Amino acid sequence: MKQNSLARILVLLIVLGLALSVAPQADSLPNGIIGQSEKGCTCHGAVPDAGVTPSIEGLPTTFNASTTYTLTISFSGGPSGQAAEPHNLGGFNLATSSGILEAVDDTVKIEGDQATHNGIDDDLDGNGLQDAIEAGGEAIISGNDYTSWLVNWTSPSSGSSTFTLAVNSVNGDGKASADDAWNLMSVTVAGPSTGAAVEELQSADPFVVLVTLIFVSGILLAAVILYTFYRVSPDGFNWESFAPWITEWLTSTDHKKVGTLYFLAGFFFLGVGGIMAMLIRIQLAVPGNDFLTQDQYNQFFTMHGTTMIFLAAMPLINGFANWLIPLQIGAHDLALPRINAMSFWLQPVGAILIFTGVFSGQAADTGWTGYAPYIVSETAHSGTTMWVAGQIMLVASSTLTGINFLTTICSMRAPGMGWMQMPLFTWSIFVANLMLFISIPAWGVGLIQVYLDRTIGTAFYHVASGGDPLLWSHLFWYFGHPEVYVVILPAFGVISEVLSTSARRSVFGYRSMVYAMAGIGIVAFIVYGHHMFTSGMSPTLRFVTMLSTMLVAVPTGIKIFNWLKTMHKGSLVYRTHTLWALGFLVTFTLGGISGMFFPSLAMDTHLHETYFVVAHFHYVFVGGTVFGMFAAVYYWFPKMSGRMMDEKWGLLHFLTAFVSYNGIFWPMHKLGVLGMARRHHTWFITTDDYTNIPAEMASWNMFITVSAFIFFFSNFILVGNMVKTIVSGEKAPADPWGGWSFEWMTSSPPPTPSFDPHNPPVLHDANEHVATEPTIFGQWFESLMMPEDETEGIH
Amino acid sequence: MSDDHDHDYDHHPSPWGPHDWSHGAPHNSFAPLVMSIGIGIFLYALASVFVGGEVANLGALSGVMLGIIVITIGLLIWWRQDMSFDGTYEPKATGAPFRNIDLRKIAMWVFLMSEMMVFTSLFSTYIRYRLGIPNCEEVFLSGEWIEGTSVVCFEPAAHLIASSWFHLAPGAANTFALIISSFTIVLALKTAKMSNKKYADRYEVELSDVHSHRSRKVAMFLGSTLFLATLFLTLKMIEWFVGFPTPGPLTELNHGHSEIASLYSEGYTIHASAYQHHAYDTAYHGGHEIPHDSALYSMMQAGTHPGGIMMADIRVGASTFFVTTGTHGMHVLGGMIGLSYMTFKGLRGGYGPSNAVSIEYFGLYWHFVDLVWVLVFPFFYLF
Repeated sequence: MKQNSLARILVLLIVLGLALSVAPQADSLPNGIIGQSEKGCTCHGAVPDAGVTPSIEGLPTTFNASTTYTLTISFSGGPSGQAAEPHNLGGFNLATSSGILEAVDDTVKIEGDQATHNGIDDDLDGNGLQDAIEAGGEAIISGNDYTSWLVNWTSPSSGSSTFTLAVNSVNGDGKASADDAWNLMSVTVAGPSTGAAVEELQSADPFVVLVTLIFVSGILLAAVILYTFYRVSPDGFNWESFAPWITEWLTSTDHKKVGTLYFLAGFFFLGVGGIMAMLIRIQLAVPGNDFLTQDQYNQFFTMHGTTMIFLAAMPLINGFANWLIPLQIGAHDLALPRINAMSFWLQPVGAILIFTGVFSGQAADTGWTGYAPYIVSETAHSGTTMWVAGQIMLVASSTLTGINFLTTICSMRAPGMGWMQMPLFTWSIFVANLMLFISIPAWGVGLIQVYLDRTIGTAFYHVASGGDPLLWSHLFWYFGHPEVYVVILPAFGVISEVLSTSARRSVFGYRSMVYAMAGIGIVAFIVYGHHMFTSGMSPTLRFVTMLSTMLVAVPTGIKIFNWLKTMHKGSLVYRTHTLWALGFLVTFTLGGISGMFFPSLAMDTHLHETYFVVAHFHYVFVGGTVFGMFAAVYYWFPKMSGRMMDEKWGLLHFLTAFVSYNGIFWPMHKLGVLGMARRHHTWFITTDDYTNIPAEMASWNMFITVSAFIFFFSNFILVGNMVKTIVSGEKAPADPWGGWSFEWMTSSPPPTPSFDPHNPPVLHDANEHVATEPTIFGQWFESLMMPEDETEGIH
Repeated sequence: MSDDHDHDYDHHPSPWGPHDWSHGAPHNSFAPLVMSIGIGIFLYALASVFVGGEVANLGALSGVMLGIIVITIGLLIWWRQDMSFDGTYEPKATGAPFRNIDLRKIAMWVFLMSEMMVFTSLFSTYIRYRLGIPNCEEVFLSGEWIEGTSVVCFEPAAHLIASSWFHLAPGAANTFALIISSFTIVLALKTAKMSNKKYADRYEVELSDVHSHRSRKVAMFLGSTLFLATLFLTLKMIEWFVGFPTPGPLTELNHGHSEIASLYSEGYTIHASAYQHHAYDTAYHGGHEIPHDSALYSMMQAGTHPGGIMMADIRVGASTFFVTTGTHGMHVLGGMIGLSYMTFKGLRGGYGPSNAVSIEYFGLYWHFVDLVWVLVFPFFYLF
């Protein structure tokens, strides 16, 4: 059919396009998109080989101003020279931070401001020199037939100069092959006025590690998808059935399919963010570590924060919201299915934009808050622009999501389900989306201002022209603080569902739960100033936000006590999701208590920018949101996949992850109080009284790193459990846990459409059942709405 | 589409359109994926063309064009699916308090809520800078500047625009263009909504001719709206970049100038080059003498200030002006894109009594854009 072939061509083009856009960047990493070579050549293998020793001779220990030095570049080791004929021995690339490089003879050419060997690329059989001589012609000088080269360097007038030399040792067959090797060295030569030369041998670039790991996880993900596809239909494992299958996933507007796509994206980026966290922890394991440079560290913690909040937590929440909101309120789909697909597809494209900087080694280094004026300065990495562009797309995505969910929850509830009969997870998504929806345009505008500042050159945040960095902080935190409640509220909803089902009774104080969430939603907008206590904000505002921030503890406390009371005299069934919910109660309460130190102005000034802050927000983000999402996975996975998860694996996951998680973040409180600063690429044990950091810091940091690795790998138990369940889990009944909201009344997995649009389910009874008719307020509000048939005479 | 599937979800709709709406909304669409990719390409390429206010790589403009083309393709797929929508499938709200109201209508109002926040944020930026940075006029008259050194100050565009009736003319004409366009869109709605019988009576046409007559009329009103929106953006471009001559006999009213310069040629730009304007020249202060009660006048009389031209760094003021009015302009452009589709669909008879609400819901957006201009105009053009 014509349509089929069109779809096939499109799918092929998309796959090819993605491959083409991604592949060269991985291959040409040292040059990067930006074209600035810092890392030499990886065209012969991905990691440097210690067997190859580069060297530069002829450099003085301190150079004289504007003097020309002749440098001898050479290398030894590697496969070079093992072949019989002395050609194609290797190559080099020399970059210098200052001064001018010139070629001495034809073996060297200057590309831009870097020197490299002069190779004959079109010499296909690899015998260029020999052939040319045999043909009686002039000997063709090919720079890659040598292992040493001469380069003239004219020194600058002052300062120091750093040389970065990359060399390739190749086996002479003229092709890239496995035993080719390369290595990198860097020398800094001090200028006329300063001290001696510093020489260090660089280790593998962590970015290469990261990109390799991203590719490995991508390939693993693709393998899982293909394997699932194979399991679902072993006979149909051919293009004719693959093309419609992939087309269906690329084009579907069904809320369940889009929800699954959100999960895939969310878990993938949870892994990527986790890998970055591990690299950060390696760097911080021992004092004075140089695994990451300061520059790389800045990029890693920026990308870690951005990835975890916007590309992992939000998609996971949206995945559950997509799957469950229509099921829980008895609707056949979301209100605007195509808009829903649009809000999903903006996310992966935005994610690619955010990560383009990583591939060029110039990722955003601004922190996830992207504070002005650094974010608009020229010193900020060029990838920052892409980071901003990607975030703009995520803002658009969140706005569309907000429209969709607010409309759906307001208007598509099944007959009999009033506002006060809605399941608490639906309530939490409603409040979260309302908050996000009202706050995110402010940040979107801020991002557009920054994007324009960085591209066409407006001056919103250029301090020299009168721009105000605090304005950015206001726009960001006006969104940023509601945002942290946006990611925690859905977890509240999940815990309410899980605990009431597991305790086999309705949640205690349903109405107070709803009002508490609504209260958090309102208070969220007047507390954001506590992020700016030390930014020079008005003292009056500081005092106001101090009080309002403390107010947040009231509705949150109500929720915690309601959960406890739900379990009290209930009959708790210990399933995996129950364990995660109980774990959530512990860790989130601890995170909440540590959070109560920050509203206090004096305490905040002391704890600001220390690891105490890191401990706090990881206790609420991981111990709150992620644990809540884990509970949700174990709770709803049977509904989504139609198969039961393995409870033993679940228990193992909980025990390892919960213990190691606390091992990571609990000691950070102590480190913070002792004065370990966050956002610093390394730390030192010092005996200096003023900056005294005690020696036991070293053991704690190593302990945290070890715990972090255990936590990271323990989550693969969950991934393994999910794959195992999909492949060979036992069939799930419609209501495996004894829940009573609408999603348990349909089959597992639910049909499409989820409910018959012409015959929606009717809520006959719920424990919170009050009345099916609107309350007085509801009736008054409804009387303001004009039904369509009454508007006829108006126009 | 094949005819043998008549259940809502049983048929296999094309993700490319056209769509058979009697089976419900499309379940598959390539539009979201294609449009997202287009937006990504556009943002990526735009950031490659301009870096820090300078043209870094003009070749990347092709990427910008590619992005726009891909977005357009996505939009066309979306429209191709929507073209056949005639109101048969119109989901209505079931829950209080919006019972029996179209979902689309609720969604549009919710969307306008976020739009409100967008412009609130832009106005917050404007208010913060307008009140927080000293005004250029006041700095000039205070005498706290010397020639040759640039002074950071806030120059409201209104200082140029409201200086002459002619300079204000494009903005004023635009205000009327938008208000009239809000009226024409309501006329389109009214025409589309009228029942066939009423329409036949009103316009004295045969009942059988109502459909074609109505289609032309609806398309005419939608087309007028589109024309007025185009006029709006055209006048805006003239005001920003082109300028225009003033008619000969009226030159006298324009302080003797035969031409109204564009904001760009007046030097009102976001570019880093400092701003020099005859308004801040002690020899020629906007055609007037320096007020005698100003500090600058007394300083010059006392010989403590040499006078001359004040160089003002007005980038922040210009940024707020161009980005706020530009964001509004982009909303007008978005409306124009929607209107061009609607005019086409109207011409093909897509809007009758059963589907008139589509015009109403677009009208909600259009009225909002109009309303925003009513706020933008006094804040940025008059004061």
